[in-house]
Amino acid sequence: MRDLLELTVSALASGCIYGLLALAYLLMTRPTGIINFAVGEWGMVGAFGGFVLLSALEVPYALGLPLVVLVMAAVGWGTERLTVRPLVERGAPVLAPILALLGMLVVFREIVSVGFGPDPRPVPGALGFGRLELGLIAGSYQSFFIIGSTALVFVGIWWFFERTLTGRSFEAVAIDRRAAALMGINLARVTAMAFAAGAMVAGFAGVLVAANVSAHFMMGLPLAIQGFTALVIGGVGRVEGALLGGLILAFTEQFIVRYAPIPAGLAMGVPLVLLILFLLIRPTGLLKAREARA
Amino acid sequence: MTIFSRALGVSLTRLSLGLALAATAAVGTAQNSVRIGMITDRVGPAKPYAEPVAVGAAFAVKQINAQGGLLGRQIELLTEDDQGRPDVSATAARKLSDQGVAFILSVSLTPATQQAQSVTLETKTPHMTPSNSGDTLTTQIDNPNFWQTGPLGSTQIATLLAYARSKNFKRVALITDNSDLGQLINRFFKAGLEKAGIQVVAEEVIPRGANTAEPQMQKIRAANPEALFMAGVLTPENVLILRAYRQLGLKTPVLGNYNLSVPQYTAVAKGLLDGVVFVDAFDPAKAETARFIESYRKDTGNEPYNLMGYGYDGVMMVADAIRRAGSTDKQKVREAMQATTGYVGVMGGVGATYQFRDGKRTGFDPNGMVVRVYEGDRQGRVVHVGLK
Repeated sequence: MRDLLELTVSALASGCIYGLLALAYLLMTRPTGIINFAVGEWGMVGAFGGFVLLSALEVPYALGLPLVVLVMAAVGWGTERLTVRPLVERGAPVLAPILALLGMLVVFREIVSVGFGPDPRPVPGALGFGRLELGLIAGSYQSFFIIGSTALVFVGIWWFFERTLTGRSFEAVAIDRRAAALMGINLARVTAMAFAAGAMVAGFAGVLVAANVSAHFMMGLPLAIQGFTALVIGGVGRVEGALLGGLILAFTEQFIVRYAPIPAGLAMGVPLVLLILFLLIRPTGLLKAREARA
Repeated sequence: MTIFSRALGVSLTRLSLGLALAATAAVGTAQNSVRIGMITDRVGPAKPYAEPVAVGAAFAVKQINAQGGLLGRQIELLTEDDQGRPDVSATAARKLSDQGVAFILSVSLTPATQQAQSVTLETKTPHMTPSNSGDTLTTQIDNPNFWQTGPLGSTQIATLLAYARSKNFKRVALITDNSDLGQLINRFFKAGLEKAGIQVVAEEVIPRGANTAEPQMQKIRAANPEALFMAGVLTPENVLILRAYRQLGLKTPVLGNYNLSVPQYTAVAKGLLDGVVFVDAFDPAKAETARFIESYRKDTGNEPYNLMGYGYDGVMMVADAIRRAGSTDKQKVREAMQATTGYVGVMGGVGATYQFRDGKRTGFDPNGMVVRVYEGDRQGRVVHVGLK
């Protein structure tokens, strides 16, 4: 029982990271139709932001984390202005910005690689290293912090989409871009905001996960794959789908490694099998998008 | 002639003179220097290891040049980036051979070094890797122009296994990552353990990019081993293992491969390292090593570590061979390098020497590795030397 509950906390924390990355994809994909695989590299940039502010400059966590998120908003906005908007304005097909963003993936990675060198860099956890025990439930301080802070992010974004006019403009663009434009919604502004928000969420996930794995220039690609898999499982239609997809992915990964009687090497392929199965059987993901309201 | 055209004429004359002087200087440098080529990985998977080795090599060149150079000439280090790719590595070797280098050092990935040999075999260019650990580099291709001076993977593992035998472990666990090298080392570890009659009760893999090692470490905790061998070479994944080890309250002794000797662990695994045993080829207490540390620190203001020592030893051995050859003639340099014996370098424990005995082209002393232990977050004392 001890193992099961420990593992549940661990899987919840990993699922939250995957969910945040899936959310970063979703925030951009819903209103624009563009899949931005540079999400993982944004996570990496956020992790290095965490290294600079929290480790090198020793800025207090409560100040450093929001600062990283703000910087990431600028990174996302800048990426959209430099690579997406010029192509959209020239009427390029949707594949063009996707490819341009793949190019940006390499640019981000190499800038960090050259700037910080190849060695991993330490990023502290929010509450330091330690083990919290609540009866039989136990996990690291960082795991509980990840779970709590991710819950706040998802509640905040749900509230934004459901309760604010700007959030509803996102939803309107997602449902019908042309109709939204005819209603006076500024599509360029929504796109820029979507990229800024996606970068903020990805950077936030990067800082959280870097406390466990450290910040290093090769960390982006796995984050991109994990987030995309969670997105496919949960579906691109609903915010809560991103979190659900992340949790399903993490629980599957960790419980199979721990309890399935298969060699360790084979257990690693299970998430990819899950991705293929969802793409074949339920390509829209578990949660469908809402229909337009009358 | 207007003032403008006169000025233009003067400028063009100056430019032509400048270009001519630059060209003469370049030819002069090529003729008056000893060129050594280095193939490194600046952007690929070997970058974290290749870069410090390359830094050590460059430091050795700087030191030799400051002391009057080699054969009365300055050494010119020509560096090529192979991105860790075998095909690019061969192209880099070809380019360096065409530039007339006296020797090529490969500090990239093992497969890349292997491929570069196809060129040095053909062009008869002396070629060495001071850092690659693959056991088959000197056996797969019969290339008399190639030498390997870094400790072989099998030597590293045998040294750690010798330490394990001295502790009488009977039941151990293995954990690695899914990198090619991590898998290879794991296989070597497993074979060595089974040969020594030590039972492997759990064997786990942490995939690259994982953000926890708790499921794998729970399985290891349930198997109750007497020791845990870490065979992985990816630093972030190894940090995850150490984090889960502390998190789950394990007390089993941890024995790490040479990757645990990279001092970056003291920063990224702070508070997790105390008592971890690791194999190394760097003993700061050895006189030659202490001298290297002191001179590097004085020159750069930074603290060197083992990987810089590999590059430093590589260049110093090449210089030693060229000096003994008395010229940069490829055949003479080849013969001088093969005749190397009793060379004491920065790497290896006290009493270890480099030599290419009985026509072999692997030069690291099989008894030259040491086992050290982390004391707090500091790389501490040597607790075992060699294979006995």
